[in-house]
Amino acid sequence: MSKEKKQVTVGRIADFPVGKCTVVEIDGREIGIARLKNGEYRAVRNHCPHKGAPVCKGFISGTMVPGAVGELVYGRDGEILVCPWHGYEFDLATGAVIYQESSEKLLMYPVEIRNGEVVVTV
Amino acid sequence: MDIPEKPQTSRDAALKVIDCDVHPYVKDGIKSVFPYMPEAWKQRFIRKNAHVSSHARPLKYEHPNGNVNRVDARPPCGGISGSDPHYLVKDLLDQNKIQHAVLNCLQTGSLCSTLSGTDESVVLCSAFNDFLVDQWLTVDNRLKFAMSVPSQDPQASAAEIRRLGKHPQIVAVSLPLLNILMGNRYWWPIYAAAQEMDLPILVHVTGPDSIFYGPPISAGGIPDSYVERYVTLCQAGESSVNSLVFSGVFEKFPRLKVIFVEYGFLWLLPLLWRMDRTWRQLRHEVPWVKKSPVEYVHKHIRFSTQPIDEPREPKDLDKLIELMGYDQLCFSTDYPHWDNDMPGQSLRGLPKAEREKIFWDNAYSTFRMR
Ligand code: FES
Repeated sequence: MSKEKKQVTVGRIADFPVGKCTVVEIDGREIGIARLKNGEYRAVRNHCPHKGAPVCKGFISGTMVPGAVGELVYGRDGEILVCPWHGYEFDLATGAVIYQESSEKLLMYPVEIRNGEVVVTV
Repeated sequence: MDIPEKPQTSRDAALKVIDCDVHPYVKDGIKSVFPYMPEAWKQRFIRKNAHVSSHARPLKYEHPNGNVNRVDARPPCGGISGSDPHYLVKDLLDQNKIQHAVLNCLQTGSLCSTLSGTDESVVLCSAFNDFLVDQWLTVDNRLKFAMSVPSQDPQASAAEIRRLGKHPQIVAVSLPLLNILMGNRYWWPIYAAAQEMDLPILVHVTGPDSIFYGPPISAGGIPDSYVERYVTLCQAGESSVNSLVFSGVFEKFPRLKVIFVEYGFLWLLPLLWRMDRTWRQLRHEVPWVKKSPVEYVHKHIRFSTQPIDEPREPKDLDKLIELMGYDQLCFSTDYPHWDNDMPGQSLRGLPKAEREKIFWDNAYSTFRMR
């Protein structure tokens, strides 16, 4: 039986600085609203699938993409959420751990902008 | 994946927890402990600007994410994670229903093992110990303390144990290791004092390990990055267990207990197999070793759990612990460091009774709890 979904306005665009994951509470559930550089938004459960850290208290970053020995290539700027505990890097597009096989995934919710307000479907 | 939402789950509600590894941070370092040292030494440290020196690690060993501490564990009043005892009690002990937490100050450890001279270390060690007794242990009775010793001077270390070791919340002696194996007679005055006071010896990487000359160094050479160094820090634990047993420390000090904290533990099983085999073959070289090395280790040595290794198949870990036996391990978080483990997420696959041993019984019978 699937629970009914509802839409919750969590604030105005200005409440959510670019490049940060700002935590709001919906029905006792902590959800981080990430406003990405490309103008998109993500809503992420503040719970790391690895060992339960408040993952949204980490930071949004790019990363070094896999490359040749001794060479650094920086990419995906602003698309990665880094957990403040063991440092797992999550793709904010899919919620998946990047560049490795893993079943661990961020729990993400649909989020949209309506009349300058940020609305999350939970 | 079955991960609980909160650190504590209903399944764990009754689980009693002793956390063997918690790191208090003395906010202003040496400056904070000025009131706890003789005036002449205070003047010496002020004049050489000791209280503003950074004690930074070389660049190549800085944490790749810029901080060895959890940024989400910073006290609301500001400051470094682990620097406010009141917040630590709330954030770690209350949140995770931890009954006892053993404090181990790595600032003292690194100053004593490496960063200060011998005389400086003797003064600083007492000052940091007294500061923590005074400003931390008084905050909450659940806070217990592994007092440090100035290990560059074994006689002074023994004197420090006898000076402070009776304090009821002191439950262990934190021994900052040098690049001298633990069975060496250099350490014996410290073991004598610890045994006399009924305190176990706790060893933990102090920070400069595998970086500077002074503390233990990883086997084979100097690592090139944080990750390389991190993975090899356990090697000193392996060498130390071997050395303690074959040099006869536990025959000389039959009531001595040692706990290896944050050295990992999965290496123990193959080490014991090798030690046992070699002893059976060449026992006569070390005739004071009267029993199998396995027996000495089971009787005298314990290992903390964090950082728990994570095989892709979690059951593999449970199997290895079953092979090791459940009497060796003591749960630890390593709060507030980045690689900490919390009780609600740790060793969940083990049977209840075995889990209770690891989270409570083994530590309770190792530390001087009263
Ligand atoms: S809890 Fe997030 S990486 Fe471990």
